[in-house]
Amino acid sequence: MNLKDMFKKTSGRSHYISLRNSRPEVPTGLLRKCNKCGAAIIAEDVKNGYYICPKCHGYFRVHAYRRIEMIADEGSFEEWDKEMDFVNPLDFKGYEEKIDHLKERTKLNEAVVTGKVLINGNPAVVGVCDGRFMMASMGWIVGEKITRAVERATQEKLPVIIFTCSGGARMQEGIVSLMQMAKTSAALKKHSDAGQLYVSVLTDPTTGGVTASFAMLGDIILAEPKALIGFAGPRVIEQTIGQKLPKGFQRSEFLLDHGFVDRIVEREELKDVLARILKMHQRADAAAVKAALKADGNIGAAQTADSGAHAEIEEESSVTEQIRDSLSAWERVQISRQKDRPVGTDYIDALFTDFMEFHGDRYFKDDHAIVGGIAYFHGIPVTVIAQAKGKTTKENLDRNFSMPSPDGYRKALRLMKQAEKFGRPVICFVDTPGAFCGLEAEERGQGEAIARNLFELSGLKVPVLSVVIGEGGSGGALAMAVADEVWMLENAVYSVLSPEGFASILWKDSKRASEAAEVMKLTAGDLKRLGIIEQVIPEPEEFTDENMEDVRADLDGRIAGFLENYTEYSADELTARRYDRFRGM
Amino acid sequence: MIGKVLIANRGEIAVRIIRACREMGIETVAVYSEADRDALHTQLADEAVCIGPAPSSESYLNMQNIISATVISGADAIHPGFGFLSENSRFAELCEQCNITFIGPKSQVIQSLGNKSEARNTMINAGVPVIPGSTEPIFDAETGAKIAEEIGYPVIVKAALGGGGKGMRVAQTPEEFENSFNTAQKEAQMAFGDNTMYIEHFVQHPRHIEFQILADEHGNVIHLGERDCSIQRNHQKMIEESPSIALTPELREKMGEAAVKAAKAAHYTNAGTIEFLLEKNNNFYFMEMNTRIQVEHPVTEWVTGIDLVKEQIRIADGRPLSYKQEDVHITGHAIECRINAENPAKNFRPSPGTITDMYLPGGKGVRIDSAIYSGYTVPPYYDSMLAKLIVHAKNRNEAIRKMRSALGEVIIEGIDTNVDYQYEILNHPDFVSGNIDIEFIERLSE
Repeated sequence: MNLKDMFKKTSGRSHYISLRNSRPEVPTGLLRKCNKCGAAIIAEDVKNGYYICPKCHGYFRVHAYRRIEMIADEGSFEEWDKEMDFVNPLDFKGYEEKIDHLKERTKLNEAVVTGKVLINGNPAVVGVCDGRFMMASMGWIVGEKITRAVERATQEKLPVIIFTCSGGARMQEGIVSLMQMAKTSAALKKHSDAGQLYVSVLTDPTTGGVTASFAMLGDIILAEPKALIGFAGPRVIEQTIGQKLPKGFQRSEFLLDHGFVDRIVEREELKDVLARILKMHQRADAAAVKAALKADGNIGAAQTADSGAHAEIEEESSVTEQIRDSLSAWERVQISRQKDRPVGTDYIDALFTDFMEFHGDRYFKDDHAIVGGIAYFHGIPVTVIAQAKGKTTKENLDRNFSMPSPDGYRKALRLMKQAEKFGRPVICFVDTPGAFCGLEAEERGQGEAIARNLFELSGLKVPVLSVVIGEGGSGGALAMAVADEVWMLENAVYSVLSPEGFASILWKDSKRASEAAEVMKLTAGDLKRLGIIEQVIPEPEEFTDENMEDVRADLDGRIAGFLENYTEYSADELTARRYDRFRGM
Repeated sequence: MIGKVLIANRGEIAVRIIRACREMGIETVAVYSEADRDALHTQLADEAVCIGPAPSSESYLNMQNIISATVISGADAIHPGFGFLSENSRFAELCEQCNITFIGPKSQVIQSLGNKSEARNTMINAGVPVIPGSTEPIFDAETGAKIAEEIGYPVIVKAALGGGGKGMRVAQTPEEFENSFNTAQKEAQMAFGDNTMYIEHFVQHPRHIEFQILADEHGNVIHLGERDCSIQRNHQKMIEESPSIALTPELREKMGEAAVKAAKAAHYTNAGTIEFLLEKNNNFYFMEMNTRIQVEHPVTEWVTGIDLVKEQIRIADGRPLSYKQEDVHITGHAIECRINAENPAKNFRPSPGTITDMYLPGGKGVRIDSAIYSGYTVPPYYDSMLAKLIVHAKNRNEAIRKMRSALGEVIIEGIDTNVDYQYEILNHPDFVSGNIDIEFIERLSE
């Protein structure tokens, strides 16, 4: 039964006329239209919701002072260089009127706001670009304010955070605008040389001269989701090459894939992430490490708060001692490759807290075969880098079965150099069949990337520990194992190449791999005897990510010992010892 | 003067409101989702505006679109019904900002009463009884025992971070306390890694008794007696009746006074409901206040003869209450059964679909509030309530017999309903004798 128009209506009047003197109406400003999805949205919801569209989750551009409110502890912001005199280096006609008009309209003095804030109690110098003011193009005042803020931060030993957003150079200031790129970069170089932290946060849109200067110079580069980030604007590129650009080109996610962004951060968690980064960049000297390790009574203890646990470990160890002799080298090779064996990320999760992954090599790519970032080891900030196998086929395809590309080694090196700058120990987990063997790898210099890591690691001025947890495949493994100490899990292997490769080169028969394994001396026990490694970590029988606890507790105690020992050494002592370690091999 | 009302709801309550408006000579605007083009409320109203796709988050909960529909249609007021935006203080506030009369209390009042601890404090200050409990966290059994003594046995020990029954223990007597406390605390430590505990008086086998309130903008507040809603499954009411067999005239007066006091303390206006838990020993405790018209309002309408929806509109229009407390008389007994599209045999799984045939009962003392018709397709997106069957008779026994007879006549073909299940309850000796509490359905299901 269709009811359409079958019911009689209340009244015959076609147009109702309200008897009230005031009619319902939406006050101006109450509702807004999202410029991304077109939905009507309540302005106040947007304001209270980090300026994100509640419907499509699109990000609106944020005014500089609102941005500061979002990240700063209430009342902590102290503005610097608020009043700056207008400059017109080229005597450009109409420029002053334009600036006056903008000042009036935006209530801003220029396109950047700088000053000092507290973020969850951590002090930092901030610079925030505001796109409403001439698209935050970089004129003299913008460059000058940023430079002054950075200089003062260097002097006061404070970290710098800059929220970038810019259309690029300011045409009205011509060549003077161009020079701001050099000026700000130079100030950041001094800041960096002084060992101070700089975090850039890329917001929509970051282009032109700002991208090609302070935006890309962060020790850590964060980006907001879907922000347009590039040097040349997409319209210019399209016109130049006469082609349509692919979807997502020059967006944050694209830059992440291409290794230029450490992490994409949602606005809701930005304050928290920044605070964590600031906190993690407090230096850990020997005394601090000792204090932290001493303060934590649980080091090396099994996490089951059972008093009998220690005894069990002891027992377990003696059991594994027996297994140790009963396995052949080839059997160990196979165990080291077993699918359910704990992988790099399992060790990161088990041994460290607050791991914050950073991405990208800053050249071409973010190689997922290597996972790296900063974390706490019992309260001590450390840099952790792992060659990461996946747990499923899908994960393994994404991680290229833990066969790093040159980009992966370059990411690792970047993170190691970052650790060096901030005095953080480096802990590596090695687990790779070998460096990736392929066309692209050669094109981008696989050999160069590995060599560079050996070269730089030998002189890294912070303690470096490498633990071979599975396969230690040749140069691909060594590129993360030029360390002060190298340890191996009991059933890990470490060799010049795979037994299959060895057999095929020497005997022209890869089927003789098991035979090769025996003569290659690739087991932990063999390598310990050869003096290639320092420690062997016993494993339970059938070692999986389900029963990692004993190994975790064991490693926990050993790493604590390592840090306690090696943070004692000066940079020169460290590198001299490391030199000697390999010099004798 | 309200001359045109937009009904921001669907289903039988939208139809109910449209009917009241028609009787008052007020024009009506229905809003509907894309799934409700053929719904009764859409067809019955003078005008209808589509406000979005089927999911309620994009239609019946879409404040912006509903406000826009109101402005465009030129309605003076919005009736929110129940559910959806009816207790959303933000929506009420938006209406206030847009010069639209929200037929309900002020946004500020909705907000205060929606905040559990704030509402509890308001009631304590107004002298309305709440469930006694500890105000400070408790960490050891010794301190706990003292507090339990003050609160009065039986008590329930609860973990501060508790949930899902973990870290909860009842102590019936002081002798049991230490053991209960320690067990609960140990459980809490294991489950949540936290041993902070609270103690509350344990309300044993309570009835759910609620009082209907009407309050105008001139400070007049009256109550329209109680509803006994103890027959509920997972906090979903199934059968409601008025008056409650458990209340003596003295207790009714006492609870009614408390309800009026509660409404006054909250500066409440319009129709609202104060929910109490009633213990066997006639102690009663404030639970919460519902700031809207309720599903079960027809039972009160029938025993008092007052049209609650019409009163709501009059109050929203600024007019004083049409009744004084002494004008309110409870006559006879009314029972309501909710008829839902669900299958009781399959754990009450919702059963949307097309109604191929139907017959609904009528006759003296039988009222049906529904929005279904033969050929109507029940959409899967919303609440599964199809109809409310309400009966009124001289006394409870007669009302029960009338309800059985009426339920026996209900025919809804094409989808599953809970009619047979309701029929079973109506024949259950405990229900018939009035020996019910909020655990009735739980026991029945065992």
